[in-house]
Amino acid sequence: MELFKKTYDPVISLAIISVLNIFLFLTVGAWTVGGGETMMTGLIAEFFLGDELARIPFWDLVFKPDPGYWKIYISLGMLFGALVGALLSKEFYWRVPRHLSEWVMITIGGLLMGIGIRLAFVCNVSTFFGLTPQMNLGGYLSMTGIIAGAWVGSLIYKKVLEG
Amino acid sequence: MSVVGQCIAAFVFGSIVGFLVQRSRFCNTAALRDAMMFKTYRNTKALLVTMMILTVGFTTFMTFGDGYPLRFDVGINQVIGLFLFGIGMVLAGACTVSTWVKAGEGNVGAMWALLFTFIGMFIFSLVWSYTYWPPASAAMTGEPNLAGLQFGFANASTLQEKTGIPALFFGLLQTAVLYAVYRAILRKEQRIATQNQRVSQPRPGNEPALTGHEPALAGNKPALESES
Repeated sequence: MELFKKTYDPVISLAIISVLNIFLFLTVGAWTVGGGETMMTGLIAEFFLGDELARIPFWDLVFKPDPGYWKIYISLGMLFGALVGALLSKEFYWRVPRHLSEWVMITIGGLLMGIGIRLAFVCNVSTFFGLTPQMNLGGYLSMTGIIAGAWVGSLIYKKVLEG
Repeated sequence: MSVVGQCIAAFVFGSIVGFLVQRSRFCNTAALRDAMMFKTYRNTKALLVTMMILTVGFTTFMTFGDGYPLRFDVGINQVIGLFLFGIGMVLAGACTVSTWVKAGEGNVGAMWALLFTFIGMFIFSLVWSYTYWPPASAAMTGEPNLAGLQFGFANASTLQEKTGIPALFFGLLQTAVLYAVYRAILRKEQRIATQNQRVSQPRPGNEPALTGHEPALAGNKPALESES
């Protein structure tokens, strides 16, 4: 179908997401990703370590592994929705980074994202789509951080590209 | 709302978001990176419009005490954490949303980034278990805690409580600021467009400008964005 083939306008797509996000805010809380990912980390770690995990205080005091945590299902939903979108538009295919430099950058980038999310309690989604629209002081602090970080990241990125 | 109900609502929301982000190729990382590196603003404009709608929406309901705003003490850890996150997302070429969306498109690099996000979180959990910083939610008071480099808790609702002025008023002020940024970007885009028109008319003896609309680096799309 033509509807599933064309690229949607990002402003309209994001406007629809915003309205849904307001409904979610009224039922459970605004769109967020980092918390669900942390809970998944905890659940995966619990799967491998069992009761040993409770010896790390973080998983007892901050995030007790709990599969009933709603934020997990936002992330799983995004994976599912993207898969459906990609299949319907015939855009699904395996893409593998070709260069070693890409693998290295993705690895370091992933680690920094994970550490950063936990240090700040929030990710980019909560910063732009949760905290700042709620005029939370944390939103302004986070924006300062992420803009400075993206700028430094771009400098590193340019250096790597230009070799 | 029951736990199952919460999870279903979250999953439905996530699915629609995943679908729309996949079809529109919106990327939060690109919104910041492209504005800084390439001076293109497709995603930045979408981000600003979203923030305007959400600010009005959230503060309207917060005026009447509805909704579930995020509640935790904030401090220096937000600045440092998101600084690291910002570097990470540009290097990985994807933020938390686009890693999930690109993983759904079959992007192995995005799956790899997700795996290492999980590993990064686990590493942090080990570090936290020694430092106990930033303070756990249970230890938060809402008041500034200078020893913990924390400023406490403040949002549109607390502004309303302190001043007696409805939260929506502050929300509209913030929306006006966001709109001003949006307008500035539109003007900048126009300037770049007219510049490009001038550059495209050949002038003998002049080096071709590198600052045009299609930057020199644009061919080398970021690691995870070969397709978007």
